[in-house]
Amino acid sequence: MKDFWKNTIKHWPYVVFALPVFLVLFFIMYVPMAGLVMAFKTFDYSKGIWGSPWCGLDNFKFLLASKSTFITITRNTVLYYIVFTSIGTFLNVVLAIAIDQLFFRKMAKVMQTIMIVPVFISYAAVQFIVYAFISTDTGILNNTFGMSTRFYSTASLWPYILTIAKIWKDTGYGSVLYMSVLAGIDSELYEAAEIDGAGRWKRILHITLPSMVPMITVMLLLSVGNVMRSDTGLFYQITRDSGILYSTTQVIDSYVLHAIFQNSNFGFTAATSFFQSVVGLLLMLFANWLVRKIHPENALF
Amino acid sequence: MAKKGNQDMAPSRREKKTFGQYVLALILLTITIITAAPIYLVFVSAFTDEMYIVKNGFKFFPKAFSFNGMHAVLRYGKQLGTSYGVTIFITLVGTVFGLLIMSMFAYAISRKDFRLSKFLSIFLLIPMLFNGGQLSGYIVFTNYYHLKDSLLLLILPLCVSTMNVIILRTYIVNSIPDELMEAAKIDGADEFRTFFQITLPLLKPSLAAVGFMMATAYWNDWQNALLYIDSNNKKPLQLLLVKIQKSISFLLSNSNVPASARAALGGTIPQYSSTMATVIIVIGPIMIAYPFFQKYFVKGLTVGSVKG
Repeated sequence: MKDFWKNTIKHWPYVVFALPVFLVLFFIMYVPMAGLVMAFKTFDYSKGIWGSPWCGLDNFKFLLASKSTFITITRNTVLYYIVFTSIGTFLNVVLAIAIDQLFFRKMAKVMQTIMIVPVFISYAAVQFIVYAFISTDTGILNNTFGMSTRFYSTASLWPYILTIAKIWKDTGYGSVLYMSVLAGIDSELYEAAEIDGAGRWKRILHITLPSMVPMITVMLLLSVGNVMRSDTGLFYQITRDSGILYSTTQVIDSYVLHAIFQNSNFGFTAATSFFQSVVGLLLMLFANWLVRKIHPENALF
Repeated sequence: MAKKGNQDMAPSRREKKTFGQYVLALILLTITIITAAPIYLVFVSAFTDEMYIVKNGFKFFPKAFSFNGMHAVLRYGKQLGTSYGVTIFITLVGTVFGLLIMSMFAYAISRKDFRLSKFLSIFLLIPMLFNGGQLSGYIVFTNYYHLKDSLLLLILPLCVSTMNVIILRTYIVNSIPDELMEAAKIDGADEFRTFFQITLPLLKPSLAAVGFMMATAYWNDWQNALLYIDSNNKKPLQLLLVKIQKSISFLLSNSNVPASARAALGGTIPQYSSTMATVIIVIGPIMIAYPFFQKYFVKGLTVGSVKG
């Protein structure tokens, strides 16, 4: 222990280096963690988080009693995670291989550059693009196909709309990571395979795909830790936070955001937040444990 | 890295110009066009005549052009100018400040002889596993720090991210030889000079990649602005976008607003073409900056783990 302090004092410049981030994390991330005790209190704005009276598990009873909202937002959160992750990973991998296989390199580069662009457009802006496609009177879809679908009040269509918007926004950028893996494959492997008479599909199947498996596993497992968190902008902005669509579009994050603006139901919301954080923690620990079992060098900790 | 260049040339890696290659090129080209189409639509709609859109809807190839949309946007210019200033300010300050403190931290925890680094790594990691969520953050920031309507809340929450520190740390460990730092110290440089004159310049590729991602996050952040900012002179661009949408839906949902009132509001509340013009003005700078940073993405964004 004495050694430890000696070492720390000897390296005081490192302590100075680490201090700003330490303080930012402490005040921005750590203090709000303590705020989660709100889930066990009857929150009163004037008394603050600490001054509000304890109420035990009442908020959680409330949560379970008002089943429909809690179950809907949890179900939506998890289902969208599954759909986005499975379709997203598949498309990222396929796109990365396709671009990597293309003989015309200049063209591949330009196309990749264009495909990455949507990731840099905020959802606050994307929602106007979506509107241009699906608005009832002026939307391209209705006008092109002579329909008069009221997209903004038809909840059943939104899983498709949101999935398409998400794919459009993220696929190009998502493939960059896998491109970097492909760039690292030793050319000699391909040459050897070609000498052995393997065709293009054989080479993709036996060289390209297996070399991507570690990265795919790691990315999938790490994403498990974020099941309970969603891309808030997608669900809050693109749907215009429209109540009619909640049954298929509201997720935990957008619910909490909405509740903050309505200034209501803080007990319920705090209990939901608590649930979200704790489940997130457990999933993250589980995911990292799995990665450690399979690819120890890729584990986060 | 030299090897990568060779691979691009290697004949056996990709088929020669076979028929299949042309099919692949065609498919990828189609995907590219589909990706670009919505962005193109924004541009073309911004310069389409308002009445044409009302009558025919949004069109990829409209027949009536007009600069009225852009004019209308530039007319309510004062707020737009202010918002541009706010967004540029928080983007610049946040990115530079964040990069500086995160690379300092990454450097400190990457030093093997620094025993406190183990604790600091864990301290860094925990927020990724567990966090207080939006609600308690909101109450702590507004009720305890009293930072409601302060630009600090647009800067601080986004300036440190565990993932970015890990990326910087991985780059320091893998790509900057310790010998360089040792040599500087032997030549009499103290820790601060070593860091600022040796490590930081060598960290450039990683700083460029992380910095661009951060700048984009700042530029695109609407959520913190919506939660915390009230005064007009502190509203960033994204909030302007969000509010435009709110005013339009208000107008549309209140069909009993008299026509004359709507006409009067028509000058200040942008409809279709001017909304698209605003979108262009908001996303434009990122579109322009992005190609210059793209080359750093693959090289500078390799993630490692926090354990030493």
